[in-house]
Amino acid sequence: MECVVQGIIETQHVEALEILLQGLCGVHREDFRIHELCLKSGPNLGLVNSEVRLLFDLYQAEPTWTVKHVGGAMRGAGAEQISVLVRTMVESKASKNVLRLFYALGYKLDHELLRVGFAFHFQRGARITVSVSSVNKMLKLHATDGDEAVPVTPGIQLVEVTAPATPENYSEVVAAVSSFCEYLAPLLHLSKPGVSTGVVPTAAAAAASLMSDGGGTTL
Amino acid sequence: MVREQSLTAEFPRDFFGISLPEQPNKYYFMIRGQRLVVEADSTIQTIMDKLQSYKSRVALCFEGFQYQLGDFQLRVGKVVPSHSENLRGIVMEVEYLPISSMEKARQIMEEFVDIWQEAISKRSLPGHFMHIEPNFSEYGLLDHYTPQHTAVQYATVVAQMIATQTVQATRN
Repeated sequence: MECVVQGIIETQHVEALEILLQGLCGVHREDFRIHELCLKSGPNLGLVNSEVRLLFDLYQAEPTWTVKHVGGAMRGAGAEQISVLVRTMVESKASKNVLRLFYALGYKLDHELLRVGFAFHFQRGARITVSVSSVNKMLKLHATDGDEAVPVTPGIQLVEVTAPATPENYSEVVAAVSSFCEYLAPLLHLSKPGVSTGVVPTAAAAAASLMSDGGGTTL
Repeated sequence: MVREQSLTAEFPRDFFGISLPEQPNKYYFMIRGQRLVVEADSTIQTIMDKLQSYKSRVALCFEGFQYQLGDFQLRVGKVVPSHSENLRGIVMEVEYLPISSMEKARQIMEEFVDIWQEAISKRSLPGHFMHIEPNFSEYGLLDHYTPQHTAVQYATVVAQMIATQTVQATRN
């Protein structure tokens, strides 16, 4: 289970966002270049169509594969009242031939992406991860080199704030994520995935302030 | 695990999943027909459950005793279905601890098994131990022994057990 919110920011303001995050998180950023493959089951494979994601971090010293299943979001009146999406999510590290396994089981590649960016992992009421990345599509199958991937939305980057949760503690995690997101409000608005909010009008001024004094300004 | 609503023979009808006591946080999948073995975190079982494309058909437990004989570690146990006491077979696992290279350890392992077989033969016990060594290189595994080698061996044992009992059922 995880709690997640998303937002977008113009690429020109990413440096300012990084300054802000550095000050808030107190940890170093971790760069990533993740090849994400979305596999879907065929029509003759089970009663229910299923989707699984395979992630390969190209920046790791020893590249590792992660299998990720994102399930349905929490529903109901209580879920609608909170500003953070709570959904089931299970991850598993796997050996390098896991892609071959899923192909052998009948899964097909639906689409693939290359996410390039950085993340901050820190503890603030919950174990929170803030990632800032450009989402790129590959011009050729599995081509992850720089020139063969182009941004899906040029000039715009995706910001995700996620935190693992359990059925017992998701309320506290939601509160921690919501509280943290308020610090980012001058630069971007974070909301549930699928709820489009666009860029915030204060972003340019906030970014300029951050860049002018390296984050010393209190927003 | 078996596939739901198999309409074509293009994809494997079933494959093996194994957990090992010495690797409590890991799980291993094998598709023998494609000589494929994958090591993953144990949470992969939850993912497979959620995907619902394959469901667990038979779960077997290998349970017994572990012995230390000098540099050898011996495990002998019975094979029973999870929710039954029907004995499906007896498995013995021999591990030579000082060496991880299979080739370097091959001679001493064979000598140990020869001694074991001779001791067993003098007891006039029904049945006999069969050892079928998989071709590990076909699975992409190297000479250095790893838990993936163990997983492949257990999958081979189970497949052999199923094949033997199928033949016996046909004869009966």
